[in-house]
Amino acid sequence: MSVIGEILVAFLFGSIVGLLVQRSRFCNTAALRDAILFKTYRNTEALLLAMMVLTIGFTTFITFGVGQTMKFDVGLNQVIGLFIFGIGMVLAGACTVSTWVKSGEGNVGAIWALLFTFIGMFLFSLLWSFDYWPPAPIAMTGEPNLETLQLGFANAETLQEKTGIPAIFFGLIQFAVLLFIYLKIQAKKTLKTTGDK
Amino acid sequence: MDFFKKSLDPRIALVAIAFFDIFLFLILGAWTVGGGETMMTGLAAELIIGDQINEIPFWQIVFPPDFGYWKIYISLGMLFGAFVGAKLSNEFFWRFPGSLSEWVMITIGGLMMGIGIRLAFVCNVSTFFGLTPQLNLGGYLSMTGIIVGAWVGSHIYKKVLGF
Repeated sequence: MSVIGEILVAFLFGSIVGLLVQRSRFCNTAALRDAILFKTYRNTEALLLAMMVLTIGFTTFITFGVGQTMKFDVGLNQVIGLFIFGIGMVLAGACTVSTWVKSGEGNVGAIWALLFTFIGMFLFSLLWSFDYWPPAPIAMTGEPNLETLQLGFANAETLQEKTGIPAIFFGLIQFAVLLFIYLKIQAKKTLKTTGDK
Repeated sequence: MDFFKKSLDPRIALVAIAFFDIFLFLILGAWTVGGGETMMTGLAAELIIGDQINEIPFWQIVFPPDFGYWKIYISLGMLFGAFVGAKLSNEFFWRFPGSLSEWVMITIGGLMMGIGIRLAFVCNVSTFFGLTPQLNLGGYLSMTGIIVGAWVGSHIYKKVLGF
């Protein structure tokens, strides 16, 4: 696809997402924060449902070798990075999606959060330029490397290749786990409603 | 139109987004935000410091600034879509954080999000809507990090806002 084509598809996708998120007030931060602090699950349920659809959708196409999977080495930096991110998103009251969506609604706090996300990224780029860690995509090998705290690359595609079992099989297992959590939340809600009466 | 009068059930919104994300996965790759934001950071830095950006290896090796990077336009699309939605439903108005502690929390939170994304090569969107549904090991590592982080963050938030 041409660069212009890619830009148009991405912009169209983003616009639909922005509109749907604005109208539903979905927030990924709230999906985690509200479940932890208030035991309310409005956003958590939506997140779980989306993950169920995506797991089945992606692994079905991966089974047939179709689709563009994300390919890069992973390791300790994902755990530490998302730990820092997780604290940050709760403090900022918005994640990467809601900062853009709330900015579009005129929320100056969200614009401020975005600005500082950019500043944070720039500061990290300076730090990275000293130690070159985590490894840049061009330095990734796909194999575990203890020296750089990297575990290599593994996903539904590699699982299928190594085991000979179709990716969708593993997708169905993950779907079942997500469904189990979703049903647990439903049961908890029913219990709460009955208890209130 | 009813769509702009009542708020939409987030479950419906997110299932719809999931289907669009599968289409995007087939054409370009799954939904992600952090990469586009990094590219915007690079382009903004280039605009501000000019050629000096070439002295920072990160912007040479990992993210050479490029206006044609498709992920930038997902973010701009989200901004546009949300603006249209807010305008048509009369929900657009300028609002500001209410207290100094909120401003401080947003500033620190924003910085931590930026640093976290770059350290991990991943944001919350790619964690939940890309990597994990592709059964990528990185998705499980990221989910562990973000859940523990959100737990710690929630308790700080509770303490600062005092409820």
